[in-house]
Amino acid sequence: MNPFQTYDARILEVKELTPREKLFTLRFVDPEINKEFTYKPGQFVIVDIRGFGEFPISLCSSPTRTGYFQLCVRRVGRMTKYMHTLKEGDIIGIRGPYGNGFPMEEMEGSNLLLVAGGLGMAPLRSVLWYALDSGKYEQIYLFYGTKSYEDILFRDEIIHLLKHGEAMNCRVKLAYEVESPSCIYLEKGFAPKVCKGVVTDLFRGEEFDVENTYALICGPPVMYKFVIKELLDRKLSPGRIYMTLERRMRCGIGKCGHCIVGTSTSIKYICKDGPVFTYWEALSTRGLI
Amino acid sequence: MIILRYVKLPSENFEEFFNSLKRWGTVYAPVKQGNIYAFKRVDTLGEVSLNYTRTMLPPKKFFVRPKDTLLKLKNGRWEEIREVKKIVLFGVHSCDIHGLQILDKVYLNDPVDPYYKARRENTIIIGISCMPDEYCFCKSLGTHFAMHGFDLFLHELPDGWLVRVGSVKGHEIAWVNESLFEDVTEEDLKHFKEFEEKRSASFKKHLNKEGLADMLDLAFDSPVWKRYERICLGCGNCNMVCPTCRCYEVCDYWINAYEAVRVRRYDSCFMETHGLVAGGHNFRPTRLDRFRHRYYCKSYFDPSAGFNCVGCGRCDEFCPAKIEHVKVLDEVREALK
Repeated sequence: MNPFQTYDARILEVKELTPREKLFTLRFVDPEINKEFTYKPGQFVIVDIRGFGEFPISLCSSPTRTGYFQLCVRRVGRMTKYMHTLKEGDIIGIRGPYGNGFPMEEMEGSNLLLVAGGLGMAPLRSVLWYALDSGKYEQIYLFYGTKSYEDILFRDEIIHLLKHGEAMNCRVKLAYEVESPSCIYLEKGFAPKVCKGVVTDLFRGEEFDVENTYALICGPPVMYKFVIKELLDRKLSPGRIYMTLERRMRCGIGKCGHCIVGTSTSIKYICKDGPVFTYWEALSTRGLI
Repeated sequence: MIILRYVKLPSENFEEFFNSLKRWGTVYAPVKQGNIYAFKRVDTLGEVSLNYTRTMLPPKKFFVRPKDTLLKLKNGRWEEIREVKKIVLFGVHSCDIHGLQILDKVYLNDPVDPYYKARRENTIIIGISCMPDEYCFCKSLGTHFAMHGFDLFLHELPDGWLVRVGSVKGHEIAWVNESLFEDVTEEDLKHFKEFEEKRSASFKKHLNKEGLADMLDLAFDSPVWKRYERICLGCGNCNMVCPTCRCYEVCDYWINAYEAVRVRRYDSCFMETHGLVAGGHNFRPTRLDRFRHRYYCKSYFDPSAGFNCVGCGRCDEFCPAKIEHVKVLDEVREALK
């Protein structure tokens, strides 16, 4: 089997989340492949716009909902710009899933603390859905840092969870940077869960059972340092901090060499051995974050 | 267990042996082109430079091509392009044989790269002994002698070649050409030993491998990197000619209005785009990061699995800024003291 071959997937729905991001709902054309396609939260697929190129993107739907999968795509470059022009019914190529994903089984029975920044919400939405659907986790926290009200990804879902999350053991907190009437309205409605600031401000006044909590982080590279400091200050063990990383991945299977990091005792391909790593691994592997 | 068989190929039978190789595929061998050597298609033994130092591009170009068409778009679907030709690579040095084995570890590891595998399976590798020049430092890395990874290996003798058989295919070639070979005599072995001793003594460059990985671990902020950042031009020549560099970039091209191809081509970690991701973040933004990354990739990332350097000296010879691999590592070591 050629690992570079991609499979036809039909776009079932395109939803505009923000002016920059669109949510694509997809399903494989071949029902057999559709049945076989299973993934873990945190894994990614490679999207193939035939004749234009390939790019890796994380799955933002949950494997608990079968029959389709979703990708949240931000328009940043040549390929994603093209992807944004696609409509319902169009066919693209997909190969994957790749990567290790989050260790969802290992975390069962624990509290989950999801820390998302910007587009980092996409892979963590997969975890969030998985956790809510399976019901095997204690308390779920979602701390989400965003630029402005317009930039909130999955806004209706987030607002729904702000309203009704507590009933599902899910506490959502939101930090925004740019003030706008909509934000102030949100802040008034959901204080103190919504505030102006950065994602680390959301930790204020929160208590976690550090023995029984896993932190899952995804966001822009600058965010990790601050969030990890916050978590370590609260004595969370580095082995309980999971982060998902990005690189220029061209193959997804450890061949193209772009995502290689290593130390004198180990070599890691972020696409194959990651993209989810614990903070221990980041401490022992220079260049990981 | 690899069983080696030793036979002798007398000089007068050499040409006939060479011609018989065409039966196993198109023969490619080092040919002199201006100032450099290159693996080229050859028809007669006269074209081959048996005493070549090193080709500019290593034999990796036959397995991971500079531009490699993977898939072709037909009616909206990718069709696999896999034209595999049987080839015989004649005159490969032991460092390059080791280089191919390092590539094997990447490409034949699960999931197997089918293109690489098919080409590797359809290639016969005939090694040849060599004398080091001022750039070679393979002896320091233990890659100056190949124990496996070839089908036949020719060692120069005063009156012919001592041939080591290294694979089933090699046995087949030797068996078909049995009338051309003789038994190895005590004298031949003496000559072989003398040649190897002479060769071993003529290395001018040595890499101090001792604790290299740990040394590099400590030297992350070494001032030597800063100095070389200004010398290095960031051209990526060293990546192109390296027998173990194998980063690739994938591009789609339209060959006409209806057909597109997906091509992978060599990428270089000296290019700014190597660490760039969508959105503009670069994981290796400065030339210093990229320069250091190459040295770390060659000598530091998990050396328990073997260094990713075979000491062929190509990066030194073809560097326009005359940066020497061994000298850089020695200077880094020196700066730590």
